[in-house]
Amino acid sequence: MSIIKTEKLRKVYKDVVALEGLDLAIEEGELFSLLGVNGAGKTTTLKMLTGLTKPTGGDAILCGHSILTESDRLRGLVDISMQETAVARKLTVEENIAFYAELCGQTKKEQAETVASLSKTFGFEKVLNKQAQKLSGGWQRKLSIALALVSNPKILFLDEPTLGLDVLARRELWNTISSLKGKMTIILTTHYMEEAEALSDRIGVLKDGRLLFVGKKEELFALTDKNSVEEAFIELVSGKGGQPA
Amino acid sequence: MKQSLARIRALTGRNIKELLRDPLSLVFLILMPLGMEILFYFLFSKLTSQFQMKYLAPGIVVFSQSFLTLFSGLMIAVDRSSAFLTRLYVSSAKPHEFIFGYAFSLLPISLAQSILFFVVGGIIDPSLFSARMIAAVAVSLIPAVFFIGSGILFGSLCTEKSIGGVASILIAGQSMLSGMWYPIDGLGKGMLTLMNVLPFRPATLLVQNLLGGVASPFDDFVKPLLIVLAYTVAIFTAAIFAFGSKMKAK
Repeated sequence: MSIIKTEKLRKVYKDVVALEGLDLAIEEGELFSLLGVNGAGKTTTLKMLTGLTKPTGGDAILCGHSILTESDRLRGLVDISMQETAVARKLTVEENIAFYAELCGQTKKEQAETVASLSKTFGFEKVLNKQAQKLSGGWQRKLSIALALVSNPKILFLDEPTLGLDVLARRELWNTISSLKGKMTIILTTHYMEEAEALSDRIGVLKDGRLLFVGKKEELFALTDKNSVEEAFIELVSGKGGQPA
Repeated sequence: MKQSLARIRALTGRNIKELLRDPLSLVFLILMPLGMEILFYFLFSKLTSQFQMKYLAPGIVVFSQSFLTLFSGLMIAVDRSSAFLTRLYVSSAKPHEFIFGYAFSLLPISLAQSILFFVVGGIIDPSLFSARMIAAVAVSLIPAVFFIGSGILFGSLCTEKSIGGVASILIAGQSMLSGMWYPIDGLGKGMLTLMNVLPFRPATLLVQNLLGGVASPFDDFVKPLLIVLAYTVAIFTAAIFAFGSKMKAK
């Protein structure tokens, strides 16, 4: 059974159609990359799936709950790490994690366990007592992603997680994201095609609010007769590579 | 309900830490008003009654509270700009929990301001130490809520860059229209009416009268209390709506 299933999901802002009739099914444990140029509808899709904005039409079922009628029940089941680093700047790394864990209803003992577990996963041991504002951009982004894992969500949305990071920090973050594969369902949006190629189980391509393609990268290569996601993506969105999915 | 209270407690704790780790907040909320209280008393108290400690200490308390608008507003504006609020909203917290979290984190700071400035005033002028001082400390929390509500409102509407300018209007209002720095006897009727209908002078009078003694219960206590309460309710209601709608818009 799909952990995410959208049915004719649609969003219109005034007279601009941001997303048109999105039908998509994502399986549990999958790492699914949503690709598209600016304004394609990626962030709008994420916002609707996380309950930040209401759809104009259609519905989506996440973990068996409708985003239209049961969005409150999704709290704790889904989490998001947004494009912008979202941490408490004057709290230390440890305090940030403990604060977020307390918000999620964890006891003091559970908070300590969460801090220890995430420190191990993300390698925070050396920066645990540093204020977030004094960390490098890469570490701040790591912390931002780590906070999204505190609630142990079933579905994690990563909106351009490596945006603005240098190549080393990006690679390090890829390793961290890879280590999460299989433990939860991850929906990733990115402008870095090599990121989608390295990390994804399946890829979806959006253009002007419509889903052009959904499938494995090998299927994308076959459809476009290219052998890299970047080349195949360019072929597809520039209108040479087939019909909407 | 229990979970909601736990989230409010977590937000309150986080906000207090953020505030106390900002050196500027300590300067403006504590050190500067404290310096003004001591300095102005010794410089001017023999020149004009305005600066006698029974008037100066309550005035300084309310004046220092006006900076709560700046720092609560700044905290919210920064949280909004960094997407911090949005992420918390997705995962667990609800808009009213944020508002309580911000308000509750600033009330202890306001209480600390009142106690500090009254006690320092009492050390300089021991006649201030009485049961009335305790009442004045308690009632001074009402203007504090007004200024905190203003901060939540401005922080919801303004950006990180513009909040300083907007909050300074309120701080200037408290400073200039409270009548605490100059004798108001020579002012025109229009100006006096303006000062009496805006919340700044009633807030100062309310605390001054409680500390100095209430001669006419209605004029010295009930009337300024009602004016400050009306502004507090109005500004907090507006803050709740503004914050909620900004969260939805985000």
